[in-house]
Amino acid sequence: MSELLRVSNLDVRFDTARGLLHAVKDVSFNLEPGESLGIVGESGSGKTVLSRATMGLLTMSTAKKSGSVVLNDVEITKLSRSELRSKWGTEMAIVFQDPMTALNPVRRIGDQIAEGPRVRLGMSKKDAKQRAIELLKMVQIAEPEKVLKKFPLQLSGGMRQRVMIAIAIACNPKILFADEPTTALDVTVQAQILGLISSLRKQLNMSLILVTHDLGVVAGHTDKIAVMYAGEIVEMAPTKELFSNVRMPYTEALLNSIPRITNQSGIRLPVIEGRLPDPTLPQNGCGFSARCKYATEKCHTERPQLVDGGNGHMYRCFFPLGVNK
Amino acid sequence: MLRNLGFFSKISFAWLSLMLFFAIAGPLLPLPDPSEFSDALGAGIFTSGHLLGTDLNGYDLFANIVVGSRNSLFIAIISVGLGSLLGGILGIAAGYLRGKTDYVLTIFFNIFLSIPNLILSLVLIAVLATSPDPTQTVADSRRLVVIIISLTIVIIPILGRITRGSTLAWTNAEFVVAAKSMGMKDLMIIRRHIIPNVLPSIYAVAFLAIGIVIVVEGALSLLGIGVGQGISWGSMLARSQGDLEYAPTSLFVPLTFLALTVIACNQIGDALRQHLDSRESKL
Repeated sequence: MSELLRVSNLDVRFDTARGLLHAVKDVSFNLEPGESLGIVGESGSGKTVLSRATMGLLTMSTAKKSGSVVLNDVEITKLSRSELRSKWGTEMAIVFQDPMTALNPVRRIGDQIAEGPRVRLGMSKKDAKQRAIELLKMVQIAEPEKVLKKFPLQLSGGMRQRVMIAIAIACNPKILFADEPTTALDVTVQAQILGLISSLRKQLNMSLILVTHDLGVVAGHTDKIAVMYAGEIVEMAPTKELFSNVRMPYTEALLNSIPRITNQSGIRLPVIEGRLPDPTLPQNGCGFSARCKYATEKCHTERPQLVDGGNGHMYRCFFPLGVNK
Repeated sequence: MLRNLGFFSKISFAWLSLMLFFAIAGPLLPLPDPSEFSDALGAGIFTSGHLLGTDLNGYDLFANIVVGSRNSLFIAIISVGLGSLLGGILGIAAGYLRGKTDYVLTIFFNIFLSIPNLILSLVLIAVLATSPDPTQTVADSRRLVVIIISLTIVIIPILGRITRGSTLAWTNAEFVVAAKSMGMKDLMIIRRHIIPNVLPSIYAVAFLAIGIVIVVEGALSLLGIGVGQGISWGSMLARSQGDLEYAPTSLFVPLTFLALTVIACNQIGDALRQHLDSRESKL
């Protein structure tokens, strides 16, 4: 299968009052048609910046970007704004975290969904309305004709997120970015939305980049997973491989901090002590070394590189778990 | 919208509608000729034949109010409408484009806000609408145009700054980023996402501005540089300013109309703003 998206050595820095903030460090990954990638990391690990930078949506003048993003054999970091605009919506689309703020409060749902088909695909008003109804059916909203006439504040959070998904897939994108699509929703609705995204992906043969802080969320819905820490990919592997052979101590710590139904009650949940390193300061050694229970002298002074451990399993650690040296 | 209005707002709405009716249909109403003297000089209100009395020249006050409402409201609505349109466009440009455009426009707004509006109007009328030959008077229409222009210049920076602030806030909203991520062009985003959100705050301020402009026009007339031969509420006040002792109604009647109309405009503007504020919380 040919590659759909190849991101190589993507690097993003922000010029801030406290100095240069290194948000994404030398990140590379690729994506095949129909494949889904989960990007997991804690708050501030750079996962949102990575997804926006990949789309080319970072427009702030303070952002300095380097590296290459190749979409369908086109280098999109070199495109002009209008050329890039022609890729958005039809090739890449994004579902945002908070469906309350990502929908325009004063416009009807129908107009907002029909906007993409009208403007980007040049449909007539009547066709676009038909398409909006069809899209609402695809995201499993009952009585789509009624919902078309409603305003965002008349819908529940879950319905709004379904509408957001309908807007994003309206122009048949090849890649769907989902930036923490379920964080603003409650747990029962989360599962429905994730299931919906997964089934739409298969139905429309889209690729998916699912950004989240919850390893549990990506487990059932992605083909491979990249774990980010302090702007770097620290471990990347096919989903099954990652969960059965954790190599990176950070990933292990993340997995241990998920509460389990089988946990004895009254026992403290293991947490990862400490905080992310200051992204404005230069780093010596492994970014996770200060919080890692296996860290040695070497971890504090030398920077580990991303190494391939076989089976498509990459990790950035001198002393990977379960590997005897 | 009308259903949700409070009692006071409903009265204000009715009052403004009545004034608009006077302004549009005034000449068709069965009223005495506003420029004809009558024998009753300085009559009180409810005198027979003169509903709101007369002034010391014997002019019928009610007829003058009705005819004058046309000038007063016409000037206010045109200059505020024009000022809101231009101020709105400049404000959206400043708030959406930011950078140098914003910098230049903000300086422009601040400079114009610092000029006292009465002095601006005085200067403009002195330069543009007076004839060098004292025996010849300038056409009323020319004076009207200059007054409207000077009031429009006063309104532009007020509306411009309000619109800029509102646009800045909405431009950072996530749905604007979402629209961008769908490949929408800037003009499309402004038309479909910025304007519908900014418009309510423009309406609200514009209504307040109409009240202000009616008063400013009155002040200009009082200073003798109003609409000239035409009648406005301000020129009625100017004509009777020395007659308070002899014919108090000739001052109180136009003042009451002026005050009530300004209060009604402010009330409607406030109601609009409240309607806008509670839009998201009212499920």
